[in-house]
Amino acid sequence: MSLEQLINKCKKQDAQAQSQLYKQFASKLFSLCLKYSKNYAEAEDNLHDAFITVFGKIDQYNNKGSFEGWLKRIAINTSLQRYRENVGVYDIINEGNIEDVSIDINDESLNIDFLLKIIQELPDRYRLVFNLYVLDGYSHVEISELINISTGTSKSNLARARLILKDKIEDYRANLSSQSL
Amino acid sequence: MSDKKNIDRLFQEKFKDFEIAPNDAVWNRINESLPKKKKKRRVIALWWQIGGVAAVIAILLTIGVSIFNSNDDNNQEFPIVSTDKTDTENIQGEEKINNSAQDKLSNEADRIKFVDSDTNNENTIEEQENIAPKRGNTSSQLTSSNTTKLNTVVANKSNEKEKTSSSQKRNSITSVSNEDNITKIATNTKTTLTNSKNSDDSQLETETEIKSLIKKTIEENKTAITENSSSNNSESNTTDSEIKNRDDSKTENSIIEDPKKQSITNAIVENTKTIDEKEEDKQNRWSIAPNVAPVYYSSLGQGSALDKQFNENSKNGNINMSYGIVGSYAISKKLKLRGGVNRVNLSQTTSDVYAFTGAETAARGIDAQFGNIKFKEDIPTISLMSSKMLDMTSAPEVFNTKIAGDIDQKFGFIEVPLELEYRLVDKKFGINVIGGFSTFFLSNNEIYADIEGVSTLIGEANNINDTSFSANLGLGMDYKLSKQWNINLEPTFKYQINTFNNTSGDFKPFFVGVYTGLSYKF
Repeated sequence: MSLEQLINKCKKQDAQAQSQLYKQFASKLFSLCLKYSKNYAEAEDNLHDAFITVFGKIDQYNNKGSFEGWLKRIAINTSLQRYRENVGVYDIINEGNIEDVSIDINDESLNIDFLLKIIQELPDRYRLVFNLYVLDGYSHVEISELINISTGTSKSNLARARLILKDKIEDYRANLSSQSL
Repeated sequence: MSDKKNIDRLFQEKFKDFEIAPNDAVWNRINESLPKKKKKRRVIALWWQIGGVAAVIAILLTIGVSIFNSNDDNNQEFPIVSTDKTDTENIQGEEKINNSAQDKLSNEADRIKFVDSDTNNENTIEEQENIAPKRGNTSSQLTSSNTTKLNTVVANKSNEKEKTSSSQKRNSITSVSNEDNITKIATNTKTTLTNSKNSDDSQLETETEIKSLIKKTIEENKTAITENSSSNNSESNTTDSEIKNRDDSKTENSIIEDPKKQSITNAIVENTKTIDEKEEDKQNRWSIAPNVAPVYYSSLGQGSALDKQFNENSKNGNINMSYGIVGSYAISKKLKLRGGVNRVNLSQTTSDVYAFTGAETAARGIDAQFGNIKFKEDIPTISLMSSKMLDMTSAPEVFNTKIAGDIDQKFGFIEVPLELEYRLVDKKFGINVIGGFSTFFLSNNEIYADIEGVSTLIGEANNINDTSFSANLGLGMDYKLSKQWNINLEPTFKYQINTFNNTSGDFKPFFVGVYTGLSYKF
């Protein structure tokens, strides 16, 4: 069954097709949700909500453009939605304008679990901005619209996120080297 | 700047192919959260299932019945075959003799004569039997003899038995007398019968009153002939040793085993009867029955189709009429498939309801919104309230002056039943079990408020589905007026499914009807 057929069946709320569609895209979307969430449980919740939205709004997918891209946007929006709902619950560090910081990253052996962990440990908005800008190619303008901040805030959030990540990576390497010594 | 790009690139490269499968539990949760398909579809699916089960039962019953019947047929056929062998051996023997005789025409002149006499005998026997009842013979077997050859054979045989049992000597004599009557036979009896001719004549003259004997002699002619044939056979060295044996055994049987023959004749009579019945069944597989039924509508559980505040109000089902027409096709002797069209009206009265209109409603601040009632536009704002909702001690003064009224909900359907009918008792008075389902198409939908003796149409229910179903179970009784006309009486229980969308409480509607009608088979 082609993807288009699968989508058409999902539009008819065919349970089997829905299951197949989930199997086909769950891993990609779950990795996405993991990056945007602060922990595994929240990522699962976001994945759940994202797929409910996908199956509910699949009628609106007009077979133009990448279906995977459509799915990813829904997953990202779902994650952002949670952030928007929780704004105010989490204290956001007040930003001044912080200049970009150069980080020396040479170690290519850093494993993905660690990188995911430090992304999830970022404050919510830093994590969203970093993900959107670095990993999913959104511009600062788009980001500012998505999470209702100024482009300046977006840029400074990104810089702070990079700093935090750099520190954690350096600590990690220091630990590794001290352990090896 | 380059370093900054480095950290970005690090994450980009690491996460480019990052995929991780979520826990299966996530899908389970999603699956549960997904909106289920419309209820109707599931109901239809349910019908498919029930229909499937019904079809399987029908097929099994059909197979079972057909096997059962075929067993019957076999059992019935055996006696026929056996009787043919024993009883009609005479005829067979004759036929065989005919063949053999024809083969040996030149050698056995006697046989030829005999053959002629046989054929003549048969014809004359029939003729004489027809004449016999006219003569006023009291022998029941002759009078009851049917026009079919089988029956005549039976009658002949029984007569034979009587004769043989009476006296063999007489038989020989009387047989001769018969042959005398049959002038053609005279030629046959050149060998031994010619001598007896005279004696026969004399006997006839002397015994003019014995008409019954004449009948017997007719039959005895046959036996005499067979005896003759057997003797002939035994005399002539024919290759038909089997025929001889048969003939011998036949004649012996006919003499010795009288009771056996009688039972056989009975079996034959029964066979012919059953054969007749089968032919009737084949002719009358279809029947059509207009019917009319008082129907009583109620609910199994306590609940209301109108609103939850009426759940505990007393509700009375009213008796209405259903009328329609049902056609049925007999799949087998016991099983019928039937379908039809009925018009059915149902109604239910909910008691102890206060109604407020216009200003009163506004004054009381009562919510006029009723989920399941769509009020008529020209009706002033009306609000209904269950008296059960009120604590009389603390109720506002207005309620003391109000008289609780009723709400009458009336609705009608076009019902299309599809049912199977299995016959338990198949006599003049028959009993059937009926099971199946009906599809209902909403045709009428009204709600009346019956307040202070005045019944006003206030609107209609908006929660009755246009299409709904029922599971039907009934007991049918019928009385056969004639071969084609039956009177039917069928108390039937119909459990309604998917009739209401949004009922409150444990509302399980059903109705009971006593369907009465006259069915015509064709």
